Amino acid sequence: MAEAGRRIERGAEISIARGAEMAMERGAGFRRTAAWLVLPLVVLVFALLVYPLALLSVQSLRPGAGILDARPGSGALSLSNYRLIVSDPDYRTALLHSVVLSLGVALVATLLCLPSAWLFARREFRGKRLARALFTLPMSFSGIIVGFLTIIMLGRIGVVPQLLEKLTGHDGLSGVAYRFGGLLAAYVYFEVPRATLTLESALRKFDFRLDAAARTLGAGPWQRLRFVLVPLFLPALLSTFAVTFSVSLGSFGVALILSKRFSLLPLEIFQLYTGLLNGPLAAAMALVLGATALAVNTTMRLAFEGRVSRHA
Amino acid sequence: MRERLPVIGAYVLTGLLLIFILAPVAVVVLGSVLNTRWLGVSSEQWVPGAEGLVTFRWFGYVLATYGRMILFSLKLAVLSVVICIVVGVPAAYALVQHPFPGSRFVEELVLVPLSLPGITLSIALIQAYAVWRGRWWLVLCGHLLYTIPFMVRVTSGALRSFDVAELERAAQTLGARFSQRFFLVVLPSLRHAILVGSLLVFAISWGEFNVSYLLNTPLNQTYPAALYATFTFNSFQVSSAATTLFLLGVLPVLLLLQRLGGGELGGELGGELVRIEQGA
Repeated sequence: MAEAGRRIERGAEISIARGAEMAMERGAGFRRTAAWLVLPLVVLVFALLVYPLALLSVQSLRPGAGILDARPGSGALSLSNYRLIVSDPDYRTALLHSVVLSLGVALVATLLCLPSAWLFARREFRGKRLARALFTLPMSFSGIIVGFLTIIMLGRIGVVPQLLEKLTGHDGLSGVAYRFGGLLAAYVYFEVPRATLTLESALRKFDFRLDAAARTLGAGPWQRLRFVLVPLFLPALLSTFAVTFSVSLGSFGVALILSKRFSLLPLEIFQLYTGLLNGPLAAAMALVLGATALAVNTTMRLAFEGRVSRHA
Repeated sequence: MRERLPVIGAYVLTGLLLIFILAPVAVVVLGSVLNTRWLGVSSEQWVPGAEGLVTFRWFGYVLATYGRMILFSLKLAVLSVVICIVVGVPAAYALVQHPFPGSRFVEELVLVPLSLPGITLSIALIQAYAVWRGRWWLVLCGHLLYTIPFMVRVTSGALRSFDVAELERAAQTLGARFSQRFFLVVLPSLRHAILVGSLLVFAISWGEFNVSYLLNTPLNQTYPAALYATFTFNSFQVSSAATTLFLLGVLPVLLLLQRLGGGELGGELGGELVRIEQGA
């Protein structure tokens, strides 16, 4: 009896000691280990993201000194580059083009991919896995590849115009690759995977019993759409719209290949930087572009998260 | 019937979208092996040799001319994977399991590159490290900036989805030291996430164009930049062969991802994947 009691006592002692040891490990010493694990990542992010962006912001405030600009660069910081973006008709056009194109792409991609996303989320059919894999294919393409594909299909002697000529004797759509329509098609091409996956994951979580409830209450298809489906699904639509918009806005590869007449902001930045060597102005434009993309994305995400938690 | 109509419409639209996605790829893959001189549209019709309908000579040409760049891109992709694992996985573990003041902020900051245009980041990097422009490891740094968010996100997602702390505590009561717990308990349970993350990192690095193109000197380019060169200077067949080679590099990875990810790709991971800014 006494033997057993002693054994229990010893066991308790050991577990107390173990507990103290664990508590110690959870304390200061352990924190230090955890800090060492995060440190390389923090260093990397600061060296590659925070510092370069901070430097770029400072640079954008210096007066422009491109090869077309004879003004001697003075040391004073000013907002002149930002004023130039808004006042110069060429840059203003490029900014406007970029925004309009990206809005169009976001709208088309979101609406076009909705039915497929619904199929992937709610229906079972043969070859679904393969179809989904193929839908994600364009995501791995660089913009330049999408640009090349667009020229092959819609260029001056592209496949589609040639086919149309064979069929109708008139080469419609020839060279459309270099105009607004071709750019729109190219951008939609690489937004399809993004839009489909975002919508699909939202549709998976969607509670379709709400729609069924509305139906049993006697709501017609239009009423269900207007008062149930659209309001509930709006956040997902908006966030898809935001993601596709901000990615399109920053896209550079497609523009590099296709944008001959239709000027776009990323390409203007590239030319300013590499051709005219106007670093400060390019920096200002790059920051305007980046800030716009980031702001749209973050606002939508925060709004989306707010909506979700309110409904949950 | 009225209820079935939208479903049929969705199937038709999905089919059309598949054609929209696949038709250009099919044209390019066919164009890389077919001798288009038979159609009379080839700009290479005066090149001697290759009389048959099918020819693989353009692949030989691409490999001979741009082989070095393929190897360079492979090297960058493999190194990106290794560094992302070494830096990203321990950091994700610490951020999730042992949060400290500001750890949430670090997590958000890591994701920022995904929503910034490639050109903005490239110019920022060049301006900051102009001295080293053209060095291969600066390009590697550019790739890391884009790939590390995925590794961190995928592993931290996995860490949050099951109770690693519980497993660790069990190992701890059995007397395992921290290093033992990390290498024998935490890492093995993250195997799947690390594999998915590595595949993602590889695919992104392999296809990255913006940062590599701007950070490099023309003589020392990655394979996507070589693609750009073929699009600009070479014929349709050469460009097609080069593009087909690019696809051969990324397709197995994508298929494997789809296989491993399965439902995940449509669910949580899908939500992350869509934020790929990668090269677009």
